[in-house]
Amino acid sequence: MIKEKSAGIKNTGSLRAKAGRVRNYLRQPHVIMSILLLLILTFLVIIPILKMFYTTFVWQLEDTRLSRAAEPGRFTLFHWKRVFASVLSDTMLWTPLKNSILTGLGVSFFALLIGIFLAWLVARSDIPFRKLIAAAAVIPYMVPSYIHALSWLTLFKNERVGGVSGIFQYLTGIIPPDWVSYGIFPIIITLSLHYFPYSFLLVSAALTSIDSRLEESGEILGATRGYILRRITLPLVMPAILSSFILTFSRTLGVFGTPYFLGSPVRFFTLPTQIYSSINNRNSASGFILAFVLIGISSIIIYINQKTVGERKSFVTIGGKGFVVSRTPLGKYKYYILPVVFFIILVSAVLPILLLTFETISLYPGNYSLKNLTPLFWFGKGGTTFAEGEAGILRNPAILRTAWNSIRLAVISSIFAGFLGIFIGYAVVKGRKERLPKLLEQISFLPYLVPGIAFGALYLALFTQRIGPIPALYGTFTLLVLINAAKELPFSSRAGVTSMLQIGAELEEASEIAGARWGKRFRKIILPLSIKSAVSGFILVFITVMRELALVILLVTPKTRTLTTMTFRYQEQGYAQFSSAISLLVVIIIFAGSYIAKTITKTGEKD
Amino acid sequence: MKKFFLVILCLAVVSSVFIFAGGGKEKTVDEASIAWLKEAKLGKYVENSFDEKALYEAAKLEGSVNIYSYSSRVFKFGETFEKKYPGIKVNGFDMDSGEIVTKISAEQTAQNFVADVIFLKDVAVAYNVLVDKGLAHNYVPADLKKVVPKEYQEPMFVHHTSIQGFVYNTEKNKKEPFNSLWDLTKPEWKGKVVLPDPQKLSEFIEIYSGIVENADSLAKEYEKVFKEKIKLSAGIKNAGYEWLYRVLKNDAIIVGSTNDVSKAVGLSQQDVPPVGLTAYSRIRDMEKDPNLKFAFTENTTPVSGFSLNVVQLIVNRAPHPNAAKLLIHYMLGDEKGGEGYEPYYVAGNFSVRTDVPPIKGLKPITEMKVWSASPEFVWYEGQQVLDFWTSNLK
Repeated sequence: MIKEKSAGIKNTGSLRAKAGRVRNYLRQPHVIMSILLLLILTFLVIIPILKMFYTTFVWQLEDTRLSRAAEPGRFTLFHWKRVFASVLSDTMLWTPLKNSILTGLGVSFFALLIGIFLAWLVARSDIPFRKLIAAAAVIPYMVPSYIHALSWLTLFKNERVGGVSGIFQYLTGIIPPDWVSYGIFPIIITLSLHYFPYSFLLVSAALTSIDSRLEESGEILGATRGYILRRITLPLVMPAILSSFILTFSRTLGVFGTPYFLGSPVRFFTLPTQIYSSINNRNSASGFILAFVLIGISSIIIYINQKTVGERKSFVTIGGKGFVVSRTPLGKYKYYILPVVFFIILVSAVLPILLLTFETISLYPGNYSLKNLTPLFWFGKGGTTFAEGEAGILRNPAILRTAWNSIRLAVISSIFAGFLGIFIGYAVVKGRKERLPKLLEQISFLPYLVPGIAFGALYLALFTQRIGPIPALYGTFTLLVLINAAKELPFSSRAGVTSMLQIGAELEEASEIAGARWGKRFRKIILPLSIKSAVSGFILVFITVMRELALVILLVTPKTRTLTTMTFRYQEQGYAQFSSAISLLVVIIIFAGSYIAKTITKTGEKD
Repeated sequence: MKKFFLVILCLAVVSSVFIFAGGGKEKTVDEASIAWLKEAKLGKYVENSFDEKALYEAAKLEGSVNIYSYSSRVFKFGETFEKKYPGIKVNGFDMDSGEIVTKISAEQTAQNFVADVIFLKDVAVAYNVLVDKGLAHNYVPADLKKVVPKEYQEPMFVHHTSIQGFVYNTEKNKKEPFNSLWDLTKPEWKGKVVLPDPQKLSEFIEIYSGIVENADSLAKEYEKVFKEKIKLSAGIKNAGYEWLYRVLKNDAIIVGSTNDVSKAVGLSQQDVPPVGLTAYSRIRDMEKDPNLKFAFTENTTPVSGFSLNVVQLIVNRAPHPNAAKLLIHYMLGDEKGGEGYEPYYVAGNFSVRTDVPPIKGLKPITEMKVWSASPEFVWYEGQQVLDFWTSNLK
């Protein structure tokens, strides 16, 4: 900053030169784009988060329940004291915080281990069934995460929470100790199995776009395999690895369902439980403060990440020349590796889906005889004696309408988020050393750190009234698209940045010299080259939006509700079969969606 | 660098407009609402008689009615209502009680009036956040005033009272396995009491508040069970909090739904099944899963359960007020129970109508040993009960 200032003093005389510099600066496409994007993000991200901060310092109506001194609308430090310095602090903040961080680190470690291992196998080795493995490795993320928790309990439940014990105890007669059945251990395992697709998708996209000749030249120069891996391959995929670490870690910090499900029997609570509880009980201010704690932790992680990636030289891997991918032969090792891979697929993808499917066709839950099977929860006619007259979900017009609404929402949100991501990626990569794009990158990551329920509560508070030119958005489809796109920005912008990092500047420069205008350059060169990475971002967003519950639950109205918000009703009725069927329907839609997305973008691309 | 800060400054100005705009959310009854009240004949303009025919004619012009309900059974009485009153469509939407309050507040602020009727638990919040602020209005059909006790008419018209009680496994226990609430704090029940989590299920804040409100009875009960005066642990205000504290310290299992409680307690082939606290309506789960075998205790002292009121209200400036009135009248059924009330005419629920007989084989609510928390107590103490619970989750 000081440097800039002194430079300014030197140039006081030449106003013209200065103006020219400003003009040149503003003329660069990525600068214009940065400013535009910054405006959008202010609206979608900055304002909600500032509002959140503001709320924590103001008495709320509900505070009259906690303190006689409360005067709604006036300034107070009450909420901060309540969270950080009261009898509650220990169980509301510190213990859950410790639990959250431990869970986050554990899950990141195992998820990345699995994800990178599979990514390398699929992208760079000659392991058989590559296509199958690649397809199966994304499935766990498509299955609602509570299904993994449910599968765990089916296998390893002990007597602690009553009910019937798990299959493990039935088969071996050994009672699993509490730490196996509940708490941090199963939470880390089930969430790792659920979240490894992040790192798999990002790392395999990065690996496939590295020209093998880079590695081969190392080989020719006499480097060992380990050396090549360490000095060539790893640095090239490092940005993708770090991105996946951040995505996995932050996501785990914010996740509510599985930790609650597996943790509450042994009173292992994480921060999101406290946030959910505060907001659910309309004590938003305390919930927001806890959300800021989460944001704080993740910001530290991002700062570290930027120090590592930002200052490292970035590598261009899609150059203007030909492109070769060679595969490492596994030899006899493949007989050891293949079973491991199949085991991972079995427990992370096949088993949960089988279990879910089975539940939707069981007349009575937990009964494994053939007589107990029924298609009625899917195809049953309404108005019969079955299930108190409830129609099967495929014959229920309300469900089908909602399904269509969900699909529309997921597609529109992911396209919107996807393009925002590519633009952000472009702005960030082109302006690597500049302040504005850097800020852009940081902002685009923020929503990811705000737990869904808190983000939803903020949008509800902000957009229920008309503000200037913006009409009250509450109850509109637009609001749902906006909040989903905003919340998923980190996926799409990460995907955007990752893909842009790999596109050589010479490609764009060449066409610039040839006289192509920026719009054309972007359309004809940048977009087609980045689309593959962008599509993985698109699919991730599509999947997340389809499954999202906490984020939108406060914002949906009867006309805009989504499939996942319908499961609650059946759970309340005691029909787990119906809610499982809806979950499975979501999974099927996700499968179809990602298949279509892949097919559309595959045209003209080699395997 | 200056450009950079200029951009930031501009954004900051824009942002502040948004942030401070939503400050004064409190709203008194404005002129539009008064006009609407007059037009809809609600509040102090309410009719003195219930003219079903006239209401139906007016409602037919409105064509439909939107109801936000805490219970999915809204679809059942919605369907029969449509048959009885052709030309009026019932759009029922089920969500949590807390969500209903949040959404109505939002709809009122946005002036985007969607819901006509709300049907919910959590009366303390419904009263203080909605009725008291004029965002929802009480409506008692005139013809029902003589069959419903006064305390169920004001300040909010109660639809029915539902019971939450203690359950035990009937496969392993021939009789009720414990006699007093204080038994659950004894070592033999360590890790064997399943409780719903009030952090997740807000109606249990009301129930645990009921325990605290009845601290005196619990203190007396303690003397009966342990033959000595209760000694409160450090920092604990009364015997109600002491009970919660000791049950939590006795390694109570916390679960996120009443469904989980009945499964934990009721599934067959357990060696040492736990006991738990759950909604009486879960008794219907036994029809859905023959592996469930449980019953509610009847002889636990000082009480074997808790009652929660469910209320219905008409939303301020609702688009279909006449249909809303007709629907509320229908939901209360008739002296035999009636079609409108039928979905709620089940074990564990009690109609507020004095002329509706209780379910066969069940005592009337006046003879059941249950506690209920007063709405004022829940409003002023409920959050502290929740905080107490949270701070003792070690």
